Amino acid sequence: MATEAELAIIGAGPAGIAAALTAATAGVQVVLVDAQPRPGGQYFRQAPGAAAAEALPVRQLGASPVCVMTDTLVWGVFPAAAGTGWELMLSGPQAPSRLWARVLILATGAYDRPIPFPGWTLPGVMTAGGVQAFLKGQGRLPGRRFLLSGTGPLQVAVAANLVQAGAEVVAVLEAARLDWRAARHVAALWGQWPRLAEGLRYWRALRAARVSLRTGWSVIAARGRGQVEEAVICRLDDAGRPIADSAETVAVDTIAIGYGLIPSTEVSRLLGCVHELRMDRGGYVPRRDAEMRTSLPGVYAVGDGAGIGGAELAQIEGRIAGLAAARELGHLSAAEAGARIRREQPGLARQQRFAAMLAALFAPRPGLYGLADDDTIICRCEEVTLGALRRAVAEGAADVNEVKGLTRAGMGYCQGRICGELIGRIIAATLSRADDMAALRAAGCFTARPPLHPLPMATLIALAEEVGD
Amino acid sequence: MQTTGSDLTSVAAGEEAAFTVLVDGRSISARAGQTVAAVLGAAGIRVFRRTAHRSEPRGLFCGIGICYECLVTVNGVPNVRACVTAVAPGMSVETGAAKRHGDGS
Ligand code: FES
Repeated sequence: MATEAELAIIGAGPAGIAAALTAATAGVQVVLVDAQPRPGGQYFRQAPGAAAAEALPVRQLGASPVCVMTDTLVWGVFPAAAGTGWELMLSGPQAPSRLWARVLILATGAYDRPIPFPGWTLPGVMTAGGVQAFLKGQGRLPGRRFLLSGTGPLQVAVAANLVQAGAEVVAVLEAARLDWRAARHVAALWGQWPRLAEGLRYWRALRAARVSLRTGWSVIAARGRGQVEEAVICRLDDAGRPIADSAETVAVDTIAIGYGLIPSTEVSRLLGCVHELRMDRGGYVPRRDAEMRTSLPGVYAVGDGAGIGGAELAQIEGRIAGLAAARELGHLSAAEAGARIRREQPGLARQQRFAAMLAALFAPRPGLYGLADDDTIICRCEEVTLGALRRAVAEGAADVNEVKGLTRAGMGYCQGRICGELIGRIIAATLSRADDMAALRAAGCFTARPPLHPLPMATLIALAEEVGD
Repeated sequence: MQTTGSDLTSVAAGEEAAFTVLVDGRSISARAGQTVAAVLGAAGIRVFRRTAHRSEPRGLFCGIGICYECLVTVNGVPNVRACVTAVAPGMSVETGAAKRHGDGS
């Protein structure tokens, strides 16, 4: 396995694969690292031994000279000692312990935004993406009777897939109300025909299966002894607050939640890239120029991990960063790279418009963040309740890192991936400043620290031996 | 640990059991490429562990290796993510661990 690369790409989803293929075609020596056993990310995921052919980009990757390191965690990235590139710390059965690279492209993807409610830690409450991964990746249903609750097109797709796989889907609750706000975005739909047709197909499948589709509704509590047995669902007012007398109880064993996506920015935060709060891109994202360069030289960021935009936008961003990296590494002339990047611009603009439309239509409204009560766990790893977090804020903790210091929230195994954004919102709500965005910005985001994932004992021992030498 | 009573449904038809793994002492059939979580699901197990402080049940949540809620003990190694760990012949899986320790960073 390679221990040096001209270009290292972290994440083998749509963005990372597009970047890898583009750069490798230009002659760049590329190493593509991914934690999963097979490339493709969440988007091109496939069941083991599935009869259908792999997605085209995954097949192209297999036929390319790109060195693909799967089953490999990147647990740290540091400036290389000589100041000429970056050093990646790896952990995996086949991976070298370190990989040195001159240029880095971060394509780390995203995960579902959970919104906490009483009972959300019960087994049987899952994220919509997790249900989808289980279904697509394992060919199995993670339950029998499903309720979906969240915002955005993903849950309609997941529900349709569940129905097709033989599951009972009781209802799909869309928290957003699709109203007049949609009108000003109609132009963004231009050219999105395949996507619209796909959405319509899902919608029809759900109608045919008599699945109840409700907009302006959400799950507000899960109940059960030891696992989910029922969900309380409720109509929401304009601020996203439940309208008490509309509450209903439905018997289900699985509740899939997903209120949009959160970009995975651990690596870019660890590196110290400048980040900005962009709710239209899913939260804190690395600041980038038009060629996907972050504030650090030789570090690019693409795809959902740099701001939510979907697989189409991710692939365009990946190609642009791949071209820019190839130029930076001397494999493409400035003129050729520039011309090819210009050719991507119309598609880029179209996908950006579509992403902006989805973000505006499906942004979770603030009232949803008030579903939890004082006894609801917010940090699932360290079991820190909303009440404890509020007390910390009352005692003077003004940003997420201070709250972490006082309560241990965000110190557990997931390192704040699930609770980080929630704690920012809790601080902003508790301090109740007039300007929402300014309050969220002031609450900040967790500092990322290595190791970005807990390390297996074998890796720790190997490291200790290395240091001991 | 607690089960739902019967196996959760398999979507793929006609799949063959390639080997067995031991789940809490029970022999469960599995095949290559499956995750530990999928095999636990097939065995009807939804509660993967209990929490350290409140002893609350937890199971699959994110399903993609991010939340660390699905931790089980595999071949004696604690705190292994069931959702991203592939099963292997002869593997022994234990659910219900009451403790896990954060790295404190
Ligand atoms: S379910 Fe989240 S890490 Fe396994």
